[in-house]
Amino acid sequence: MNGPIVHDAHTLPPNDNVNPYAFCVDLSGRWFLQKGKMIAYYGQITFNGIGHGPLDRLVATSFHSPLHASDWVVAEGKGRMLLADRAFDVNSYDLEDGNLTIRSGNLLAFEPSLALKQSIVPGFVTLLGTGKFVAASNGEVHFVEPPVRVDPQALVGWADCPSPCHHYDHQYMRGVLGGLRAMTGIGGVSGEEHQFDFTGAGTVLIQSTEVLMEERDTGAPPPSQPGVPGAGGGHGGRGGQQMPQLPGQLGDIQRRFGL
Amino acid sequence: MAQFRLQGGKVLAVDLAGDTVRAKNGSMVAYDGQMAFKKLTGGGEGLRGLVTRRLTGEQMEMMEVKGQGTCYFADRASDIGLVTLQGQKLHVESSNLLCADGSLRTGTTFTGLRGASQGNGLFTTTVEGTGTAALMSDGPAVVLRVTPQSPLQVDPGAYVAHTGDLRQEFQTGVNFRTFMGEGSGESFQIRFEGEGLVYVQPSERNTIGGDV
Repeated sequence: MNGPIVHDAHTLPPNDNVNPYAFCVDLSGRWFLQKGKMIAYYGQITFNGIGHGPLDRLVATSFHSPLHASDWVVAEGKGRMLLADRAFDVNSYDLEDGNLTIRSGNLLAFEPSLALKQSIVPGFVTLLGTGKFVAASNGEVHFVEPPVRVDPQALVGWADCPSPCHHYDHQYMRGVLGGLRAMTGIGGVSGEEHQFDFTGAGTVLIQSTEVLMEERDTGAPPPSQPGVPGAGGGHGGRGGQQMPQLPGQLGDIQRRFGL
Repeated sequence: MAQFRLQGGKVLAVDLAGDTVRAKNGSMVAYDGQMAFKKLTGGGEGLRGLVTRRLTGEQMEMMEVKGQGTCYFADRASDIGLVTLQGQKLHVESSNLLCADGSLRTGTTFTGLRGASQGNGLFTTTVEGTGTAALMSDGPAVVLRVTPQSPLQVDPGAYVAHTGDLRQEFQTGVNFRTFMGEGSGESFQIRFEGEGLVYVQPSERNTIGGDV
């Protein structure tokens, strides 16, 4: 019987997948990684939070998301480290002077030659520049070209797409019955009325399940600021009293009825 | 001796010819031939083992399978890895042990501080002797070799098992930043030194130290 493959500090593939679920980074210098995604390492590596003083310059050039700062650390040193996440599929991607937006929970690590910026789409981050990054997905990643509509839960990210937007199937507004249905959920909804719509040139990454990475508060939009989509406390325009949201409600229909 | 085979990574098939294996209680999914399943109280380690396991919290519900034919084991679609032992000692978390040859001895040992950070208790299960044992992990386990020149650090949440002559040391990077909410999330590691193999799963259990 031949046993499992044994890896050591030298046979671990540098900057490549060990198996579909684990990725080996050949570290010499610095990498950004999300907290708790390192499973093992050889060599001398230290982990420091983003707020660590000596990292100030690095953070200033390649980390532009104060929201996510508490979820990221910088690995520094020399050695090989293994990254993995909940036995999800892990892949590395090379970006060449490009941009890619990805669900914040799916990004595991990236090289500091890339810059991380918070996307204006809440819950997503954008990577800009040239370099390598590692991302996880539940099931294999599929690449599709726009125009395409994607289930929100299956979306991992997109590259170079100019206009990601929401798409609602028109059904919810058709007639009084449609309105009632949407408001109450009675009569059944397929659960697929809402999609993300991508048009133009680019690539969209989707995963093969609708199970999301357990998200921490990473997707929360920044605190109240005029003009920031989805910003908390933006209900000011509608008076203090908030209507309790009914399940299955789409697009603030009650407002149309003056409720 | 029982023959262990993997069927597609998540199912273990064991060919038995009148011999016995010990498996996690309730992990049989199918069998061919004649099989008898006997619950083993306290992991089949006798009264002393029973008491030790109760006291240490390293509880293990095992059953003894005896018969002729092929028995299939699986548990919650966990990935399974086989470890062949020739007199060495395998240290494994009791929750990760699926099946062991009947000729292997199992026991409990003190692991030190590592267990505390894992939330798995201070004790671990040992498997000793000659034969095959099957380990479960969340995602296929990666086997990493430790040599005196290249010690290995492992996240406690990803540790599954180890064999060989290894010293383990609990390593912390806790400093004042940790208490200010500026922790690195990788503050706790187990450092393995010596000569041996470490099994690591591509996933992290929820650990007490995991978020620090």
